This record gives sequence, structure tokens and C-alpha cells, in this order.
Amino acid sequence: MVMALTPAAGVQGSLLDSPVGVNLLRPPGAVEEELFPAKCIRCGRCVEVCPYRSIVPLDARYGVHAGTPAVFVAKIPCYLCMKCVEVCPTGTLRRIALKETRMGLAEIDKHVCVTWRDEGLCRTCYNVCPLKEEAIKLDELRPYIVEEACTGCGICVHGCPVAGERGRKAVNIHPIYSTRQGRG
Amino acid sequence: MHGASGRGGSRNYDRLRLLVQAGAFALLVATPVLNAHFHISFLQGWFQSFSIGHLWFVSPLEGIESILTSRTIYIPLLVGMVPTLLVALLLGRVFCGWICPIHFFSDLSDRTIRLFKGRRILRDRLLLPGSLLWASLVGELLLAMILGAPIFVFLSPPGLVGRELMMLVIFHTLVLEGVVVAVVLAMNLVTRRMFCRYFCPLGALLALIGSRRRLTVSLDREGCTGCGRCGRICPLGLDPATGGGEDPRCWNCGACVAGCAQGALRFRWSSRR
Repeated sequence: MVMALTPAAGVQGSLLDSPVGVNLLRPPGAVEEELFPAKCIRCGRCVEVCPYRSIVPLDARYGVHAGTPAVFVAKIPCYLCMKCVEVCPTGTLRRIALKETRMGLAEIDKHVCVTWRDEGLCRTCYNVCPLKEEAIKLDELRPYIVEEACTGCGICVHGCPVAGERGRKAVNIHPIYSTRQGRG
Repeated sequence: MHGASGRGGSRNYDRLRLLVQAGAFALLVATPVLNAHFHISFLQGWFQSFSIGHLWFVSPLEGIESILTSRTIYIPLLVGMVPTLLVALLLGRVFCGWICPIHFFSDLSDRTIRLFKGRRILRDRLLLPGSLLWASLVGELLLAMILGAPIFVFLSPPGLVGRELMMLVIFHTLVLEGVVVAVVLAMNLVTRRMFCRYFCPLGALLALIGSRRRLTVSLDREGCTGCGRCGRICPLGLDPATGGGEDPRCWNCGACVAGCAQGALRFRWSSRR
């Protein structure tokens, strides 16, 4: 019964609320979330150009955000090909370089990660990171995130074999830069 | 203008229009297929924004909404609006009349209904004041600015057709908002092009921009017998015999030109208006 009353993952109460949350991010170069639904004209060109189908248009359940692009990184992360930022006609996705991308920040949950729990020697996140040795490094074989370099692409989340609570992994992307406040 | 003289009915704009509409629709299907399955991004998008190589088009209404609600100006957006604004300025609502998939579907359903009923001209059951069209544009822009998020950009019927096609091709699913398209098409059963006549903010904006357009349908008074057929044919309920062809709302579809048995109506390009 309780299950039936819980909203679908990522769907918020108000039709005006931003859908962005943990592991649910905007494509690279996105303007701040306060401006996003106003600026984006839902033309779908970023969705069409994405060769990995990482970018998905949100539907009517997301209120005024219907038609805006999002990346569910646990399903298909962003592989940072940077094609979407080139085609956006409104500047909602700004033309930025790969290393300037800040879709969010990866955070390793040390209570969930098997390596940090000393239950194994997994370093999948380190291995799959496109900025290996820059954004994820190893400290005595335990992975840690370098905040200054992490693009928030979510490839580590997608690779992480650990299933945490509520669909989370041992490493998750937090969209800390998505709001005006987060950009400081 | 030698070709334009003689019997106007022989200029079959109905068939030509159907061809253009079908071509535009085929392009709409081909675009996501090319992008998703062949990674060819030469053609991109649909009616909010469409690109052919490096030539970008942005729909005027969506562009204006984006500027108004976000209160920001992005130069490439303005550049993308230039070609569409120019077309509307010179040719009026030709997008509605010749490209929009809603009109395409409506034209197809009209043809089907005519076939079954055996009647040449369909009736309009409910007529509303034509000024509703302008009210819908103003209302839509106001509502978008109050909410701080554009409305038409994700509920625009032609845009939704493009989006549903993309969803179908790329993600093998449809989205809920598609019911808007079904509702808009169902409104045709009450009045032909009811949505286009009274409620489409995009049509209203294009009509407004094209109110002094160069391309119009003009009447040759000598040839007109006053049979009133053009007024009954017009899918927008305008009367070309009394200047309907120069009405801002006329979308230059040419149905009246093709339908006039006397050939008294024809497209006219005026260098100054």
C-alpha cells in the first residue's frame, strides 16, 4: 500500500519544482536550474544528437519541465562527447569544453563502498573514470574523488556494482552546481 | 504572368500542398532515424528548432517565449529566428498552411470524411469570434511570464508531433502529452481547424507578423460570379470573395484558388503593401 502512494522516482510534488536530484542531472553546460525551464525550448536537438541515448526528454509528470533534457546517470551516464552543447539553439546548454563540465559532483559513500568497508578490493569507479588519476585517485588502493576535476558525468555511478538504498550506488552524483547558490 | 492566366482551377494547389505536407512529415520521421541509427546529424530537430547543416531555424514564438521568460538574450537564438521571421513577414502563415503536421493530418482526415460522406464541402458547427486567436497569443505569453516557464514550447501540437516521433524512433515509446494532438485533431469534428482558427498562439504570431505580407490571394472581380464556393471551401472560414485572402489569418494554403471554378482567385505577389 505504501508503495502505491510513493511518487515515481525523481518526480516532485509541485509542477514547478526542478526534477534535478541525485543521479538525475542536466546535460553538460546547462544554465542554472532556476533559468533552465524558461530558456529551453524543448526542441529535442540535444536528445537527437546524443549518440549514447544518455539524454532523455522528461515527460508531463515533471510539470513545466516536460520536454527538457535530463541524464539518468545510473542507467546511461554522459560519455562527455560534448555534441549536445554544440547544437543547443537557445544557449541553455552553453558551449563549454569537456573539462569545464560540471553536471554535478561524485561522492563515494564510505559506508556502502566495499573497498572502504574493507570487504573487498573493488576499484571499478577508478577504472572507468574518463579523467582517471585526475578526478578519481587511489589512496592505499581506496578510491577518492578530486572535487576540482570531477565533471559529474556519472560513468563511475553507472560502473559501480554496489546497489545501495533507493537505487543509489556506493558512488553517486550530487547536482551541487545546478542552482545559483551552488555556483556561488 | 502568362502562366497565371486562364482557368485557375487547373492550378491544383490542393495536390501540391499535400505533397509538400507529406514531404515535411517524411523529413520529421527521417530526422530522428538518421540521428539515432546512422549518427548523421545533418538534419536535426523539429518545429521548435530545425537545422539543415549549419543553417538553424528557430520558431519565432518559442524564441520569443525563451527570451521573455528567461530575460536573457542569446545571439545564436536571434540569428535562428531571422529566416522564420522573414518567411512569415513575406509569405504570412505559410508554415501553418503548407508544413504544420496538424493541418496535414486535418487535410487527410477531411479528405477521408469527404470520401465517406460523399460531400464536397464540410460544415463548421461552432463559430467563435475570430479575435480569440489574438487573445490566445496574448494570454499564452502572459501566462508563460507569470509562471516563469514557457507553455507553448512543450504543449505545442506540431512540436508534440515531432517529439512523439522522436520518442517512437529513439526510445520506442510515446509520451503522455501526445493526447494534446489527439484533442486538437478531434476539435476538427466540431469546426474545421478549430484550434488553428481560434487557439493556436503560434498561428496568431505568424499571422500578426505576416499581416502586411507580400503573398496574398487576390480576387479578379470580373471573373467572379459570386457563387460563394470559396468561402465554403476555406478551412479557416474566411471569405476570399470579400477580401479574406488579405486577412492576416489567411494561411495561403490555396484551397480557394484551386476550388474556384471560374479561376477568379489567384496568388498575387505585391512588391509594396
